[in-house]
Amino acid sequence: MIEVKNLTKSLPNGRKLLDGISFTVNKGEFVGILGASGAGKTLTVRCLNGLLKPDSGSVIVEDDQHVKRDICSISKRQLKKVREKIGMIFQGFHLVKRLTALDNVLIGRLGQINSLRSLVYGFTDKEAEEALSALEKVKIQHLAGARVSSMSGGEMQRVAIARAIFQNPTLLLADEPISNLDPSNAKNIMKLIQPLSKDMPVIGVFHQPEMTAKYCSRVIAIKAGRIIYDGDPKISDELLIEIYGEELRHLEANFFSEVPPVPITFTKTKTELHDRPNL
Amino acid sequence: MTGQTYNLKRYRKWVLPVLALAISVEGAALVCGANIRGLNRGLIQGFSFLGHMFPPDWSAFPEMLKPAVDTIIIAVLGTFFGTIISLGFGLAAASNISPRWLRRLTRGFIRIERALPEIIILLFLVAAFGLGPFGGVISLTIGCIGMLGKLFADAIEEIDPVSIEAIEALGASKIQVIVFGVLQPIIPSIISFALFRFELNIRLSVVLGAVGAGGIGLELYRSFSLLDYNKGLTCLIITLALVIITERFSEFLRSKVKLAGVLR
Repeated sequence: MIEVKNLTKSLPNGRKLLDGISFTVNKGEFVGILGASGAGKTLTVRCLNGLLKPDSGSVIVEDDQHVKRDICSISKRQLKKVREKIGMIFQGFHLVKRLTALDNVLIGRLGQINSLRSLVYGFTDKEAEEALSALEKVKIQHLAGARVSSMSGGEMQRVAIARAIFQNPTLLLADEPISNLDPSNAKNIMKLIQPLSKDMPVIGVFHQPEMTAKYCSRVIAIKAGRIIYDGDPKISDELLIEIYGEELRHLEANFFSEVPPVPITFTKTKTELHDRPNL
Repeated sequence: MTGQTYNLKRYRKWVLPVLALAISVEGAALVCGANIRGLNRGLIQGFSFLGHMFPPDWSAFPEMLKPAVDTIIIAVLGTFFGTIISLGFGLAAASNISPRWLRRLTRGFIRIERALPEIIILLFLVAAFGLGPFGGVISLTIGCIGMLGKLFADAIEEIDPVSIEAIEALGASKIQVIVFGVLQPIIPSIISFALFRFELNIRLSVVLGAVGAGGIGLELYRSFSLLDYNKGLTCLIITLALVIITERFSEFLRSKVKLAGVLR
C-alpha cells in the first residue's frame, strides 16, 4: 500500500508545482495519472520513490513485512532500502545499453546484493534463472543474450518491465511507459503491466486516456498541481476537456473506441520539460 | 589613373605589420646567430653526416631488441596506470557527480598538469627515483592525467542524467551507480581515448629514454654521442618501425571500438 498525503512543491519564485496532492493506492489497483503537460504528474511520481523531495507532505510506503515508512523523512540509507523494493519504468527505458537483456534484468537487484559481488557480475545461477523467468513473463526470453542497444523501443521497455519484476517490488511506478511506443506496442506493454497490479499497487503516468480507460482500475487527474478527479477510469468528455483544455473540443475523436479515427495522443512537447524541473 | 592610386592605397594597411614582422624576424636571427651561410654549411655537413650513417650496423640489431621492448613496456605501463588514475580524476572533475569544491580542485590540478611537459616531470622524478624505466613509467602516468582526466570528465558530463537516476532508483550504492550508470555507457570512449594516448606515449617514451628513462631512446642518444653513426642508424630504423607498427595497431583497435560504438 502507498499513502500520499498533502504533497506540495513550489519553485523559488513561488509558483506552485504540486499543491496538496493526496491519494492512497492499495494492492490490486492499477492507477493511471492523467494531466496536461506541466500539470505535475511526473513530479508526483518522482516524489513517490524519493527521486525528488517535496517541500511538505508525506509518502508512506508499506513493505512486504507490513512496516510503514515515510519516504520524505527517512535517512539516505533507509531510502536506499525502500527503493530496492520499488520498481520503476521510465519513458526513455534507461537501461544500460551496452549490456545484454539478461544483465540488465539482473541489475534490478543491485540494491539487494553486496556491492562487491555486483561489480564482478557475481550473480548466482538461481538469480540468473529468476531473471530469465522474468524475461519469459514479458515474452522476450529469446533475446536474453542480445545487447539492449540492438533492440527496438518495445523490446527495451519489456526488458525494463522484466527488470522491475525481478526486483520483487512491493510497489511499481511507471513514468509515461508507453509514450515512446507505437499503438500496438503500447497496448502490449499495458497488457503486461496490468496483471502486475494483482501483487502490488501500480501507479503510472499516461498521456493516453483511451489506454487508461481500458487497462487501469482507477484514474487520477491532475491539473496545475491539484487533483481534480479521482475515480472510475472511464471519464467523460467534459472532464477530458477540463484536464486538457478547451482546444480539445475542436479535435474530433472518439477516445474510447478500439482505434480512434484520428489517432490522438497527447504527445510529449517541449513544455513537458517543466514537468521535470531541475530543482 | 585614379584606379591605380586606389590599388596602391589598399595595401597601405599591410605596410606596418609586414615591417614589424620583418624587423622581429631579422632581430631574432641576429640574436641567435642564424644566417644563410650557416644554413648552407649545416646542410652540407648534414648530408655528409647521413653518408657516414650508411650502411646501418645490423650486427647491433640483436642487442637493440631489449631496449626496444623496454620502450614499449614503459609506454604500455604508463598508459595503463595513467588511464586508471585519470578515471579517478575524471570522476572527481565531472560536474554531474562531484561536489563543487572537489571539481574545482581536480580541474585546477588537471590544468596545471597539462601545462607541464613530460620531460620536466621526468627530470623531477630522476632526482627521486634515479635513472631508469621506473621514472619513465611514472612520468608517463602523471602525463596522462592532464589529457585523459579532462577527456573522461567531459565524457561523463555528457551522460543523460536520467540514466544515472534510473540506477539510483533501484536502491543501488554510490559505487554501483558509478559503475553501472556512469562508467558503463562511456567504456568505448575510455578505450578509444586510452589507445590514442598510447600512441602519444610510445613517441614520448623514446624521447624520455634519451633523458634517462632507458630503452631505445637511450641507445639512440648513446650511439650518436659515441659517434657510432652506423649503430645510430640501426637504432633510428628500429625506432621508426616501432612507432609506426604500434600506432597502426592502436589505430586498428580504435577503429574496432568505434564500430562497436556505432551499434551502441
